[in-house]
Amino acid sequence: MSEFRVHHRVSELQNLLKVRSGEGAEVYADLLLKNMTPYITTQVSSHSAKRKIASFTKTPDDFQRKYDEVKSKNVRELDPLVFLVSKLTEETKTQKFLEQNAQERAAEAGGTLTSTGSVVSMTTASGGKMSQEEVSELRNKLLSATSGSSILSPESLRRQRDKARKNAQSHTLAVPAWVYERPFLTGDFVRQTQPSAEHPVALGTLPMSLQEQAVVEDLLFTMMGVDGKYIQARAVNDKHGHRSFNVDPSLDVSMKELVNRVLPVCSHYSSVCRFMEEKSMPDYGQVNHALCAAMRNLAKEYLILVAQLEHQSRQGQLSLQKFWFYVQPCKRTLEILAAIAETVNKGDCRGGAVLSLLHERTASLVGDSKAQDLCLYLTQAACVPYFEILERWIYKGIIVDPYAEFIVEEHESVIKEKIEKDYNDAYWEQRYTICRERIPVFLEKVADKILSTGKYLNVIRQCGRDVKCPAAEEIVYTLKERRYVEQIERAYNYASRVLLDLLMEEKELMARLRSIKHYFLLDQGDLVVQFMDMAEDELKKDMEDIIPTRLESLLELALRTSVANADPYKDDLKVELLNYDLITQLFRILSIETKQEKALQAIDPTEIHISGLEAFAFDYEVKWPLSLIINRKALTRYQMLFRHLFYAKHVERQLCNMWLNSKTAKQYDLQSPRWYAAAFALRHRMLHFVQNYGYYMMFEVLEPNWHILEQNLKSVSNVDDVLHHHMDFLDKCLKDCMLTNTELLKIVSKLMVVCITFCNCIQRLTRTFLADEELQLTAPPGKGKLTDADIRKNKAKVVSEHVDELVSSDSFEDTITNFDRNFSSLLLSLLDRLSHFSSSDCEHNMMNIIYRIDFNGHYTEQLEQFSAERSMMEQQSPDWQPADSGTVFGKFSSGKKMAAKDPSPKPAGGD
Amino acid sequence: MPREIITLQLGQCGNQIGMEFWKQLCMEHGISPEGILEDYATEGTDRKDVFFYQADDEHYIPRSVLLDLEPRVINTILNSPYANLYNPENIYMSTHGGGAGNNWASGYAQGEKVQEEVFDIIDREADGSDSLEGFVVCHSIAGGTGSGMGSYMIEKLNDRFPKKLIQTYSVFPNQDEISDVVVQPYNSLLTLKRLTQNADCVVVLDNTALNRIAVDRLHIQNPSFSQINSLVSTIMSTSTTTLRYPGYMNNDLIGLIASLIPTPRLHFLMTGYTPLTTDQKAASVRKTTVLDVMRRLLQPKNMMVSTDRIRHINHCFISILNIIQGEVDPTQVHKSLQRIRERKLAQFIPWGPASIQVALSRKSPYVQSAHRVSGLMLANHTSISSLFERCLKQYDKLRKREAFLEQFRKENVFKDNLDELDNSREVVQKLVDEYHAATRPDYISWGAQEAAEGRS
Repeated sequence: MSEFRVHHRVSELQNLLKVRSGEGAEVYADLLLKNMTPYITTQVSSHSAKRKIASFTKTPDDFQRKYDEVKSKNVRELDPLVFLVSKLTEETKTQKFLEQNAQERAAEAGGTLTSTGSVVSMTTASGGKMSQEEVSELRNKLLSATSGSSILSPESLRRQRDKARKNAQSHTLAVPAWVYERPFLTGDFVRQTQPSAEHPVALGTLPMSLQEQAVVEDLLFTMMGVDGKYIQARAVNDKHGHRSFNVDPSLDVSMKELVNRVLPVCSHYSSVCRFMEEKSMPDYGQVNHALCAAMRNLAKEYLILVAQLEHQSRQGQLSLQKFWFYVQPCKRTLEILAAIAETVNKGDCRGGAVLSLLHERTASLVGDSKAQDLCLYLTQAACVPYFEILERWIYKGIIVDPYAEFIVEEHESVIKEKIEKDYNDAYWEQRYTICRERIPVFLEKVADKILSTGKYLNVIRQCGRDVKCPAAEEIVYTLKERRYVEQIERAYNYASRVLLDLLMEEKELMARLRSIKHYFLLDQGDLVVQFMDMAEDELKKDMEDIIPTRLESLLELALRTSVANADPYKDDLKVELLNYDLITQLFRILSIETKQEKALQAIDPTEIHISGLEAFAFDYEVKWPLSLIINRKALTRYQMLFRHLFYAKHVERQLCNMWLNSKTAKQYDLQSPRWYAAAFALRHRMLHFVQNYGYYMMFEVLEPNWHILEQNLKSVSNVDDVLHHHMDFLDKCLKDCMLTNTELLKIVSKLMVVCITFCNCIQRLTRTFLADEELQLTAPPGKGKLTDADIRKNKAKVVSEHVDELVSSDSFEDTITNFDRNFSSLLLSLLDRLSHFSSSDCEHNMMNIIYRIDFNGHYTEQLEQFSAERSMMEQQSPDWQPADSGTVFGKFSSGKKMAAKDPSPKPAGGD
Repeated sequence: MPREIITLQLGQCGNQIGMEFWKQLCMEHGISPEGILEDYATEGTDRKDVFFYQADDEHYIPRSVLLDLEPRVINTILNSPYANLYNPENIYMSTHGGGAGNNWASGYAQGEKVQEEVFDIIDREADGSDSLEGFVVCHSIAGGTGSGMGSYMIEKLNDRFPKKLIQTYSVFPNQDEISDVVVQPYNSLLTLKRLTQNADCVVVLDNTALNRIAVDRLHIQNPSFSQINSLVSTIMSTSTTTLRYPGYMNNDLIGLIASLIPTPRLHFLMTGYTPLTTDQKAASVRKTTVLDVMRRLLQPKNMMVSTDRIRHINHCFISILNIIQGEVDPTQVHKSLQRIRERKLAQFIPWGPASIQVALSRKSPYVQSAHRVSGLMLANHTSISSLFERCLKQYDKLRKREAFLEQFRKENVFKDNLDELDNSREVVQKLVDEYHAATRPDYISWGAQEAAEGRS
C-alpha cells in the first residue's frame, strides 16, 4: 500500500473522528509506515482474541452471532480486526475516547441518544465505527501487528468493491427479459400456480409394494427437480434457501425414514440448480461461469444416474433400499456442491473470492481424497478463465477482463502522456493497481510480482514492440502452489530483465541520468559559467520582462560552445521560467497539510515580482519510456536542486565580481583603509561561506550520493528498484542540501540575500566613485599631455581622496558594520541550528558543513557564546526565534522586493 | 564563449617555461606539435578553447604572445618541433636584438619603446576572444627583459584592461648561489613593486626551492634548466586544470583566485605538488591516497618556495586550495579534511574564516601517470614575506654601497633621481608589514592603526 493511500486513510479517519489536534495526518502515516510489516495480518490468532472479547463484553452471544455472520460472508481481514478489537479491550483510555466521540456524534446527528454499549458491540455493529478504533490505535501507538490491519479498513474495501462492481455491470451484456419471464426455463422445481387437478389417494391406503413403487417414482421425479405425486417441494422464501419437501404423511414409517434419507439429495440438487442458473448470468463473471459449467458436468452425471435408476425401476428391480444404496455416493457430491453454492451465495463472491473459497475448501478436505478430488476438479475448472487472464497479463502485458475479476485493475484515465506533465508518478503507481479483495488466497504472495510483471511488459508494449515470453506455458491450478508460483516467477524475471535491458541499454538510462546531472547538478560547470556570462543581464530583469525565446537561444549558444556540445542529449534541455521562487516553492511543498498552507495560498502569485534569476530553471524533455524513471516528480526535484545551486553560483559570481571591481584598490596608497579592510574581510567571509557551501553540496552531497546511485543501478534487477534508488538519491540530495528543512533553508536564503545586497551596495558605490573620478580626471585641462605615470598617480590620489571622503562619512562605515552584524548573526544561527540538528537528528552529514565553514575555528568561540545565549533565551521565553535580520534590507532594497523574498510566515519556533 | 586566457611570455626564462607549459598542454589535450588534434583525442570533453583557438584549417593555436629583446630563446623554440604551433605574428623580437643586458631600467625603457607593436598583438588577441578572462604572464624577476619589460607590460595591461585579471608566474632567483647578475636585487625590487600593485595574483616560483626539490626529492645532483622547467610546467598546467576540464566548481580563473586572496595586496601564492617524479625516475612504490596527498602538500619540503623559519612571527595560512586529480572517492576528501583539522596540521589566520578548499579535477586521459592521485596546492601563506625580506636585505646591502647604479641612471626612469628605487622599497616594505600584520588577530583594523600612527 502506497504512502499516499495510508495518508489518505488516516486523514479520513481523522475526519470521521473529528480529531482536530495539531499534528497532521502525516505524523500518523509516518508512524504507521514505519511500523508496517507485510503479511503479518495472516498470522493473527483469532481464537484467543475472540475469547477475550467475549469475556469482556456484556453480550457475548450477540458478539458471537455477529462474528459468525461476518465470517460466513467471507469478509477479508476479519481476523486482524478481531485481534485489534481484542487489543482495544485493554485500552480503557481509547474506549473512553470512543464512547465520548460516539455520543458527540449521535448528539450532532440529532438522533436520540442511543446507548453506545460496550466498545465491542459498537465496533462489530457498523463498519464506519470500526475505523474509530483504528485512529485511536494510531493515537495510542499500539503494536506494529495491529497497524497492518488498521491500514486496511474493511469498510473502505467494501466500498471500493461496490464501485468496481457498478463499473463492471455498466458495460456487461443486458439479459433479455424472457429469461426471467418464463418460469419453466429452469431445472429446479417450478412453483405451480394451480394445484394439480387430480388429488391422489392417500398413500397409506395402498399396499406396501405399491407404496414403495409410488415413492420410488416420486423420488425419481423429485431428484430431477419435478414435483411428484406424494412428495412435493415446499416453496422457498429465500432464493438461496434450503428446500424442504412435503411427504405424504400416511406413508409407511420405515419407508418414510428411507425417503427422508434420500430427500436431502433432491434439496441439494435444487440448490445447485438454482445456483448454476443464477451464476450463469453475465454479471457474475467468468469464474462463476466456469464454476457453473463444471457443476453442470457433475449435474449431468447425476442426471444420468437418475436415468439409470429409472431404467431399473421400470424393470421393477429397484427397491427403495436399493435406491438408497445407489444414491448414497452422489449424495456426498451434491452435498459438497450445495455447500459451495451456499457459501458463494452468502458471500456474494465473484472472481478471486470464489477461487479463494474453493481453494480453502479443497485444502480443508485433505483427509477425504474423493471429496478433495471433486473440489480440485471444480477449482481447476473455475481457475481456467482466471488463469487465462493471468497468462495474458504476465506473458503479454494485456488485460482482458470484462467482468472486473482480475487482481490487477487498469485505470484507463491515467495515460502515459500525462507523465511528462503531472507532478506525481500517477502513471506508474495508478495506471495498474492491485485490487486486494480480488486476489485469490493462493496468489496472495505473488500478487505484487504479478502486478509488476504485467506492468513491465505493458511498458514494452507501449514502446511499440511485441513481447514474447519464452517461458509462456499454460498455468494450471494445483494443490502444490510451487508449480504456478514458479511459472509466475519465471515470467516476472523475464519481464523485469527485458524492461531493464530496454531502459538501460537501448534507451541508455545511465547516459541520460549523467546528462541530466551535467545540467541540473552543474557537474560540468563551464556550461553554467558560460550561460551566466551571457544571460546575466537578461536574467537580472523582472520576470515579466524576460523574453523566453532569447534565453532559449542563449542557452543554445552556451550548449554549443561548452563541453556539453559532446552530449548527444543536449537538445532536450529547455529553459523554464517559473512564477515562484525556490523558497516559496519549497515552503509550499513542505507546508502541505499544515496550518501554514492556507496562509501561503493566500498570497497571489501575480503579486510577487521575482527576478529572472529566481524564476529561472532548466527543464528537460524526457521521452517514453524513460519518463517512467525521469518523471515530473524527479525532474521537479532536479529543478529544485538546480535552482538552489544556480542561485548559490550566482551569489558566488557576484562576490567574485566584487573582488574584480575592488582589485584596483591595491594600487592606491590608502591612508585610512578602515573600510577597505572591513569590507574586504566581510566579502571574504561571505565568499568563504558561499564557496564552502557550494563545495559541501557538490562534493559531499551530490557526488557521493551519485556514486552510490551508480553503484546501485549497476546491480538492480528490476525497474521498480531503479525508480526507488533514483528517488532515494534525489531525496537524499534534497535533504542534505538543506532543502527540506524550512528553518535552515530560510537562514541560508537570508544569508544569500545579505550577500547579494552587500554586493549591490558596494557596486553602486564603486560606480558612483568611478564616475566622479572620470569627471575629475578630465577636469584639469590646459596642463597639456599627461604622462602615463602622472595619470596613474593622479588617479590614485583622486580615488584615495574620494574614498577618504566616503570613509569619513560615518554612514558608510555604519553600513559595513551593519552588513557585518547581519551576516554574522545569520551565519551563527545557521551554524547553531546545524549543530543542533546534527546532534539531535543524527544528521551527520550536516555536521560536515560546520567543519568546512569553521575549519580554522574562527567561529567556534562566537558559536559557543551564541548557543549559550540562545539556551538562556529559550529558558526565558519558550517561543524564541532565531535572530531576525531586517534592518539592513530596508536601506538597500525596496521593501517590496523583500516581501517577495520572504513571503512565508515564521516557522513555529516551539516545536 | 569560453573564458579565454592570453599568455604572455617575456624574456629568456619566461619563454622557456612558457614553452614547457605549452608542450604540457598539447600533451594533455592530445594536440600534436603542429597543432593538429591527434586521432585519439577527437572525442574529448575538455575545453581546449580556453588556451587555444582554432585557425581556419582547424589547427589549434595557443593564445600566446612571445616577447623577448634577444632572439636566442625564441629561435630555439622556432627550431624545435613546436615551431609551427605558435602564431608567427605573435612572436615579437626586438629588432636590434641586443637584449636588456640584465638591466631592469633598460628592459622597462625598451618596453615603453616597443609597446605599440606589442599591444597591437595583444589587442588583436583580445579582440579575437569572446569573453576574455585575463592574462597570464610568465617571466623571471631577476633578469632584464622579464623583469623590466615585464613590469612595464603589467602596468600597461592593468591600465588598458582594468577589469581583466592578471596572473603571473614569476620566477624568483636562486638566492643560495651567487648570481651572475649583479644588479639582481635592484631588478627584483623594482619588479616586486609592480607585482604588488599591478598584478592580481602572483604564483611565486622560487628557483631556490625548485633546485632544492630537484636535488632532495628527485635526487638529481645538478638539475638542468629543462628539468626545473618541467616542474614549473607541471604546476602551471595543474593549476589550470579546473578551467580546462570543467567540473562542479572553480571553472573560471576568478573563482579560483578570489577565495585565495582575501585582501588585494596579499596575492602572492606558493605552490606545492605531490607526488613528484621526473621522466628519468620510475615511480616509487607508494600508495597514494587523498589524505596522503593532502598531508604531503602541507609539508614545507614539498613547497616550491623556500621560506625561512622566523621565530617571533607566527606565520600561518591565509587560504589553501588543493587541486586533486585522479581517481578520488569524494567521501575521502571530507575524512582527510577532518583529520587535518583534528591534528591541526595547518595553522590558519586568526582574523577570519579559512579552510582548505579541495577542487577535484579530472585528469587528462592521454597522459599516463604512475600515480593514482596527485595534488597541487595553491596556498596563500604569510611566510612568503621572508622572500621579500631577503630581497630587501640584499637590496639594502647593494644600495648602501651605491653599487652598479650607473647603468640605471642611463635610462629615463632614473635620469633625475633614484626615487623610483626608494619608492619601490617602501612599497615592498609595506607589503612585508602587511603580511606580518596578517598573522595577528587585529589585522582588520591594522590599516587604521597604521594610518593613525602615520598621522600622529
